Amino acid sequence: MNSALLQFANWLAEQPVSIDLHESFYLYNWIETTHVMTLMVSLGMLAVIDLRLLGVCLANVPASRIAQRLDKPMLIGFSVMLITGVLLFTAIPVRTTQSLWFRIKMILLVAACINAWLFRRKMVEAAQTWDLEPKPPRRMRVAGAVSLALWSGVIITGRFIAYDWFDCGGNNPAFVDWAAGCLAAQ
Amino acid sequence: MLFAFFEWLEQSALGVFVKDQAATFAIIEAVHLMGLALLGGTVIVQDLRLLNVAMRDVPANVVTEQAHRWFKVGLWILLITGVPMLAGVATKCYHNPFYWTKMIALAVGILFVFTLKQPLLREDPATLKPVTLKLLALASLSIWTLVAASGRWIGFSG
Repeated sequence: MNSALLQFANWLAEQPVSIDLHESFYLYNWIETTHVMTLMVSLGMLAVIDLRLLGVCLANVPASRIAQRLDKPMLIGFSVMLITGVLLFTAIPVRTTQSLWFRIKMILLVAACINAWLFRRKMVEAAQTWDLEPKPPRRMRVAGAVSLALWSGVIITGRFIAYDWFDCGGNNPAFVDWAAGCLAAQ
Repeated sequence: MLFAFFEWLEQSALGVFVKDQAATFAIIEAVHLMGLALLGGTVIVQDLRLLNVAMRDVPANVVTEQAHRWFKVGLWILLITGVPMLAGVATKCYHNPFYWTKMIALAVGILFVFTLKQPLLREDPATLKPVTLKLLALASLSIWTLVAASGRWIGFSG
């Protein structure tokens, strides 16, 4: 699988769009800036919803109302995140494919999405029962805390991609090279 | 005089601590970004409510009052992580126009929120014109967008 991923990354790196993104100082940095600033919309909205689930913000407003009303801005934010994220990957595909942090980030991202999906279903089912309670039931509070923790992990590993600590070809422990999917010099 | 302070900051124990290990700086950066998400989220929730875009069926003063509490938490996270980040690269920041843009915008933002926006919103909502509320929201969104964007650009030009 690692060689297939690398093959795809190598192919992508040769495409004009990848080269253009990579070589343009302003274009690349503005995409990066948009990616970071959209944190305020996507994870910002999510944080408010999760804080309501924990019962520490807007506790006197029904939880389902907060979640529903902030759903659209949050999804718009996540869409922008996704588009700019794909562009950032397109600009630097080979290094990113073999980045340990990028790989951990993708795993956390999938976990956070599964958590959000499960939570969404529970939210619809439970809206009639605990909606008005300032402090939601324990399992909802756990879902909120898990969500905040997973997304914090996504932010940390995302920021770490920019550092070259564990780049392939460095003096890394064997398991790091294995996890990052480093292949012999290409 | 000001530059001497930046030099001192970079050579202080804090500056050396942050500079010595790349991981320290990166971890502080990541927490700074979490603070950004919280601050930005609470600003946007308030301003979307004032603009009548989101949460229209929740009273505006409930939204702005409650979100403002967590805005303050976000601001503290950003300030507490921001100072060591500056200490690590203080002399570089001194010569960086984006750094100064950000600091001026940040000062304007803090003054705006605590001396104008929140005091006005705490008044009787009936005395405020809808256009005033919308202008407050637009000003707030512009200022914090500028703070965040110029902050990100400090790192690109170093």
